[in-house]
Amino acid sequence: MKKFLFIYLALGLSVVVCQNKQLLYNWEVTPQTLMLNPGSLVSSQFHAGMPLVSQFHFNAGSSGVSVFDIFADDGVDINTKITNIISELSSRDFFTINQQLDVLNFGWLSKGMEPVYFSGGMYQELDVIAYFPKDIAILAWEGNRDYIGKAYDFNDVSARADLLTVYHFGVNKQISKKLTAGVRLKLYSSLVGVSSTRNKGAFKTSIREGTANVYEHTVTDLDVEVKTSGFLSLDGLEQSQVNKKLLGRALLGGNLGIGLDAGITYQFDNQLSLTASVLDLGAIFHTNDTELYRAKGDYTLDGIELIFPELVNGEPAIPYYDNLEDDIAREIPVDTLNTGYTQLRPTKINAGLHYDFGRFVGDKGGCNCKNNGTKQKRVSQAGVQYFSIFRPRGLQFAGTLYYTRRFGDTLSIKTTYTLDSYSAKNVGAGLFLNIRGVNLFLAADNLLQMSNLAKANSVSLQVGLNYILN
Amino acid sequence: MDVKITKQFILFTSILLFVSCFDGTDFDQTNEVVLTPEIELDLIYFNLEASNFYDYANNTEVLVVEDITDLDFLGGSDINDIIKGADFYFEFTNTIARGFNVSFDFLNNDNVSKYLMQTTVSPGSENNPVVSYFVQSLDALQIKELTKANKVLVTVTIPSSSQDLSGVLNLQSKTTYYLQIE
Repeated sequence: MKKFLFIYLALGLSVVVCQNKQLLYNWEVTPQTLMLNPGSLVSSQFHAGMPLVSQFHFNAGSSGVSVFDIFADDGVDINTKITNIISELSSRDFFTINQQLDVLNFGWLSKGMEPVYFSGGMYQELDVIAYFPKDIAILAWEGNRDYIGKAYDFNDVSARADLLTVYHFGVNKQISKKLTAGVRLKLYSSLVGVSSTRNKGAFKTSIREGTANVYEHTVTDLDVEVKTSGFLSLDGLEQSQVNKKLLGRALLGGNLGIGLDAGITYQFDNQLSLTASVLDLGAIFHTNDTELYRAKGDYTLDGIELIFPELVNGEPAIPYYDNLEDDIAREIPVDTLNTGYTQLRPTKINAGLHYDFGRFVGDKGGCNCKNNGTKQKRVSQAGVQYFSIFRPRGLQFAGTLYYTRRFGDTLSIKTTYTLDSYSAKNVGAGLFLNIRGVNLFLAADNLLQMSNLAKANSVSLQVGLNYILN
Repeated sequence: MDVKITKQFILFTSILLFVSCFDGTDFDQTNEVVLTPEIELDLIYFNLEASNFYDYANNTEVLVVEDITDLDFLGGSDINDIIKGADFYFEFTNTIARGFNVSFDFLNNDNVSKYLMQTTVSPGSENNPVVSYFVQSLDALQIKELTKANKVLVTVTIPSSSQDLSGVLNLQSKTTYYLQIE
C-alpha cells in the first residue's frame, strides 16, 4: 500500500488548490480535518498518522494560464503563444506552489470529567506565490522599442516563498451539546524564506520634448526590496553541510515564529451545523541569517554628454562612463542590510454550513456514544463551504458546494464543486477507506480535467494513511 | 467485504491515475523559446560651440576636435553573446556656417579600431538650423566586430574656421539593440 501511495506522490498528480482543501474540510472521518478546523467534531478515541505518509499535499496552480496554453502541440510557434499569453495575463494573475508533508500526526481522547481531544504533530510546508510581473515580462520579452512612453511598473513584482516546519498541538473540546471548539498552537521553524512584495516605482522611456537627447529614460520613485532569510549562511557550503544545516533548522533551529489556529462547530440541531476556522494566524520572526537588498531613488538618463575638453599632453580623458555609473549608484543606491524582519503567515479562513440527512449510520441505534451522544451520523451530508487566504495582493476566495456519502464505517466519499480564482468548473472527489482502523484517503480536484491535466489551471491531490481507533 | 472494497478502491484510483495525462502537448518546444527584446537607448550627445574651433590665445584655427568615452557595456561578453544587430541613429543640428566631417571610431582596450562610422554634416546658420541624419545598421557580423570595442572616439573636423564663426553643432543619438536570448 505504501508503494502504491508513493507511486502517486512520485507521479505528482499536481495537487493542491492553493491551500484550499475543500475536500478534507469537515470530512469528519479524517484526522486531518482537525488541521483545517481545530473545533471539528471528533469521533475517534485515538489517531496516529503513518510517519511521512499521514498526509501529503502538493499544488501547482496558475490563475490565468494552463500548461496546455503554452505547450499545446498545435503547430503554433511557442514564442507566439508566449507573446499572446503575456498580453492576456494581468498583474493580478498568479502562480502558486503549495506542498505539505505530515511528518507526525497524532491525537487522543482524554477521558475524564471533561473529555478533551488532544492532537499534535509536525509537518513540513513549502509555500510559493508569485504574481505575474506583467510590465517586467513585457520589457524582458519585447523590450521598450514598441512601448515608448509606457511606464513599466515595479509594483508588478510581488512574490514570496517559504520553506518551514510546523510543530503544533491542539485542544478540542465539546463546550456544550451544541458547541464544539478548539485551538491549536503552532511553532514555526523557518528553513529558508524569500520575499519581495512591496515594490514601487516605474521605468519609462519618453520621446524628447526639449530634452538633451533623443530619449529620456527615467526611473521614478523607485523603492524595491528583496528580503531573504536563511540563505546567507548556506553560501559556499557543500551539499552535505547544507542538508545538515537545513535539518537543524527543521528541528527548531531556524528563525522561529508562532501562530494560532482556532475553530468551532455549532450544531443547530441533529441535522444542521455551522463550522468556522481561522488558520495560521501568526508570524515568523526572521532575526538571524537575514539579508535584505533595497534600491531606492530617482534617476533620469539622457546618455553620455561629451564636452570636448581641451586636454594638454598627458592629461587623462574625462571618465564619462565611470561618472555615469557613480551617478546612478549615488541616486539609486542598493543597500544590503542584515536587519531582522517579521513575515506574517498567509492566514486562512474556512467556514461551512452543513446539513445531514438520510438514515443513520452504523448499528449503535443512532447514538454516537463516544462523542457524548451528541451527534447522530447520517449517511448523507451536503453543504456549502467558504475559503479565503490572505495573499500579498489581498484575499483570494473560493466557494464550494459538496455532498458526502457514508457507506457504513468503511467507506465515505465526498464530492465537491468549487468556484475559485483558478476555475469555475472545478469538480473534486474524495474517497476514504477504513479497514480495521487503518484508513486511507485520496482526494483529487479538477476531475473534469483529469483526462488531460495540461488543460487544468490547477489540480489537487491529497493522500494520507492513518490509524484511527473509534 | 473489506478486500472487495479495497480492490474497488485501488481500481478506481488507478483509473483516475492512468487516464490522467498531458495530452496533445510537446514539452520539447521549450528549446525553441527565444526572447527577442528590442531595446531603445540613448547614446551620446554634445553641443559644440563654434568657439571650440578657434584658439583665441594663439589666433589659430582648430580644425579637429575630439573626445572619447568608455562604453563598457558594449565590450562585455554577456552582451556579445546575445546582441544580433543594432541601428545607430545620429541627428545633427547645425547653426554654424560650416560643414563637418564626423567620425565615430569604436576602439578596444588597446585603442585599436574595431569599427568606424563616418558621416558629414551640412552647414547651417543661426537663423536657419540645418538638420543632418546618419543611420548605420549593423548586422550580426558587423555587431560582432563592434562589440569587441569598449569605447568610442568622436572626431569632429571642420574644413576652415575663424574667430568670427558662431553657432552650435548639436548631436543627439540613440541605438536600437536587437537582442536574442535563447
